[in-house]
Amino acid sequence: MSEETKALESMIGEEYKYGFTTDVEYEDFPKGISENIIRELSSRKDEPEWMLEFRLKSYNAWLEMKEPEWFNATYTKPDFENLLYYSAPKNKPKLDSLDDVDPNIKETYDKLGIPLEEQKMLAGVAVDAIFDSVSIFTSFKEKLAEAGVIFCSISEAIKEHPDLVKKYIGSVIPARDNYYAALNSAVFSDGSFCYIPKNTVCPMELSTYFRINNMESGQFERTLIIAEEGASVSYLEGCTAPMYDENQLHAAVVELVAMDHADIKYSTIQNWYSGDENGKGGIYNFVTKRGICKGDHSKISWTQLETGSAVTLKYPSVILQGDHSIGEFYSVAVTTKKQQADTGTKMIHLGKNTRSTIISKGISAGDSNNSYRGEVKIGKKAIGSKNYSVCDSMLIGQTCGAHTFPYISSENASSSVEHEATTSRVGEEQIFYLMQRGISEQDAISMIINGFVKDVLKELPLEFAVEANKLLDIKLEGSVG
Amino acid sequence: MSNVSKKEFIHTYVQLPSVFPENFKELRLQAKISLDNTAFPTKKDEEWRFTDLKSITANKFESVKSGMLQASLELDEYHLPEARHSRLVFIDGNFSPAHSVVEGMPDGVIVGNLNKFSKHEKLRSHLGTITNYEEDVFVPLNDVNFQDGTFIYVPKETFIEQPIHILNVFTDLENPYYVTPRVLFVGEMYSKATIIEEHIGLSNNIYLNIPVNEFRLYRGAHVHHARIQRDSKNASHISRPVAMLDAHAEYHSYTICLGAKLFRNEPRVIQNAEEVDFTVDGLVLIDGEQIADTHSIMDHRFSHGNSHQLHKVVVNDQAHSIFNGKIFVAKDAQKIDSFQENRNLLISDTGKVNTKPQLEIFADDVRCSHGATIGQLQDEEVFYLQSRGLTEQKSRELLVYAFALESVESMAVKSVEELLLKEVIAYTNRD
Repeated sequence: MSEETKALESMIGEEYKYGFTTDVEYEDFPKGISENIIRELSSRKDEPEWMLEFRLKSYNAWLEMKEPEWFNATYTKPDFENLLYYSAPKNKPKLDSLDDVDPNIKETYDKLGIPLEEQKMLAGVAVDAIFDSVSIFTSFKEKLAEAGVIFCSISEAIKEHPDLVKKYIGSVIPARDNYYAALNSAVFSDGSFCYIPKNTVCPMELSTYFRINNMESGQFERTLIIAEEGASVSYLEGCTAPMYDENQLHAAVVELVAMDHADIKYSTIQNWYSGDENGKGGIYNFVTKRGICKGDHSKISWTQLETGSAVTLKYPSVILQGDHSIGEFYSVAVTTKKQQADTGTKMIHLGKNTRSTIISKGISAGDSNNSYRGEVKIGKKAIGSKNYSVCDSMLIGQTCGAHTFPYISSENASSSVEHEATTSRVGEEQIFYLMQRGISEQDAISMIINGFVKDVLKELPLEFAVEANKLLDIKLEGSVG
Repeated sequence: MSNVSKKEFIHTYVQLPSVFPENFKELRLQAKISLDNTAFPTKKDEEWRFTDLKSITANKFESVKSGMLQASLELDEYHLPEARHSRLVFIDGNFSPAHSVVEGMPDGVIVGNLNKFSKHEKLRSHLGTITNYEEDVFVPLNDVNFQDGTFIYVPKETFIEQPIHILNVFTDLENPYYVTPRVLFVGEMYSKATIIEEHIGLSNNIYLNIPVNEFRLYRGAHVHHARIQRDSKNASHISRPVAMLDAHAEYHSYTICLGAKLFRNEPRVIQNAEEVDFTVDGLVLIDGEQIADTHSIMDHRFSHGNSHQLHKVVVNDQAHSIFNGKIFVAKDAQKIDSFQENRNLLISDTGKVNTKPQLEIFADDVRCSHGATIGQLQDEEVFYLQSRGLTEQKSRELLVYAFALESVESMAVKSVEELLLKEVIAYTNRD
């Protein structure tokens, strides 16, 4: 092994910095899944009849489906009977200020470096912090309400805005879409709901922090964002989770709907516990994310920085239905140790003159496997459409793997698709060049990696870009001494 | 396993020989076991999900009896002047001594039919050793059925100057039939040869052509291999060409697809030692209701390998092109430089292109890249030619011709290049 590989390997051996658990009492709820569990779940959440029906229908669909096995990852399948489908901090606090928050929970956020007070002061960011399944804190609500924006937990939305939820939930990702989406539709616990009315630019970046904190509690978030004609919103999602031995399942569903001239930007930083050196523990991240550009000239943009989880299966997609609509996907996926990531996107072109751009950067190190899996489909009626895809992989060390599986198809003669992919490593010449100019080896490697992912990170909103850079540093260059 | 009963086997679509040919018993018995245990592919199989196999499954193909040779068939127009002393002709899978000629070969070289050399030690030790396709019915079908085939053996440090022309001709028999051509090539250390493998349908009849090629190249061996597929427009052609390369070997293959209603080509090149260089190029020109599918594998198992693949496709009418190019780089196979490019020109609104370039890399010090494009002729280019007095139609034809030209120019044999240029013009010029 060369010196520089050793240096890299020691950098990526960085321990999970956010591994701790918070001691909060949990309401008991039986383990396992059945029709009764779903009824119980629904009644505890005080849901209307139609919601229960939606859940039961999804549950029945799920029962008929088979767990998928087509992806490039091996893992122990979750035991669905041994999962807890509902958990909420025992006394749901009704809070007016931060002081009322359970000190333990507050401490968790402090350890994570997300002081709510500070965030509150940082004008422009509304934080809807989700601690496990129940939303406990929502800020800046009034300011949003002034603009007519609805931003609340999905449980609240089911009660307060049933018409909107009923109309759109499951409209982009039907319950039968896939195994984990069906499971989510049956048992989803909570999540965010966001509605931007006609011709409104959301006055601030919306952000939700998720944190899995209850051993054996699967998290089944459900997010629904609707941007009406001419509306515009930027939504940020970031995740960290404590260190546990037991594999935890995270099967979220995110649906985005963009009407004429609407614009949705959805950014994610994912840094859940990825398991220890031997691949023990770690989160299973099986997420279904999809947006539909329903209206003409609408735009949906996904940006993600995936650094955590033991197994990630995630394909944020865009259905380009409206004419002249735009879909974008910017992704950095970093895998180390025994992590396995199979991630990518789907761009389905249906409308005329639709455009899509895919930029995916994969970095694999340690014994990990990193796959890009994408689909670009240009339908018969999507005349004049264009797609441009780049997926680059970088390998660090000799025991990792990088894979590219792009599916591309076109059915009309006026559209064009361009796809390119490369696999390479940090070049010795590049490192030498930088070191020759007085930069240390670690700094040189860090600079090269930052350059490799720059195209994606610059797409993140400013608030996230800082955190993203920090995260990459921690993940790939922290502990060299 | 409740859906086992729904699976079909190859016996449903082809009539297997009731008695195996006498030679190569062991290979055939092995293959028979695979055939009995492997289901015929369907669209549910990942490797076949885009490929419509209707032109096979809608028929029942008979096996061709060995006595049915048409010795009087006039085939002069298909002869290549460069290969006038080195030509092997197979008619409906049967070797035709009357049409074949092998003269003036260097000492020790064997160019002949498999049956004649079936006791040859090099043939026995190589046949069927590298054609290892997973879950496959077509190689085993070839194994149990091939009546004859080509055997080429080039001894150490021997150059064969003239190209060897393997001409497979398909005639119009009464019923749909299937044929399983076979080629075994063994190139010893630092040998060199040029092979032109051709498949020609003389009529528009329905048949199923399942060639299997084995090219074993030892240290420093060098092969240029052109494959020209001009099957009947109603035929199905499932190809399995494999090459295995030792150190310093070079293998350059160029597959040209013009005919067949269904063409499925699965070239594989296996790097079996350090320092090899290979090419897996392709040119596909299809129209009507043709389906052309290429699933290639460039398998780098050792360090220091160069590979190159340029796969060009023109799709017109309702034709459908499928491409899946895999580049594998095994663990510890460092310093690999692999490049793959798939360029598709879709010139009709009813055509369809599916492409999936695929990289699977397990070594860090490599440079692998792939590119895929699907596009159409640029309006500016068409306008440029029109402004110089060409009609729009002529401008478009000229641009398609230029697109195809790059692949044709790789041909090492002049007469093959000329022949292909004519085919390209016939394809582009549709009035």
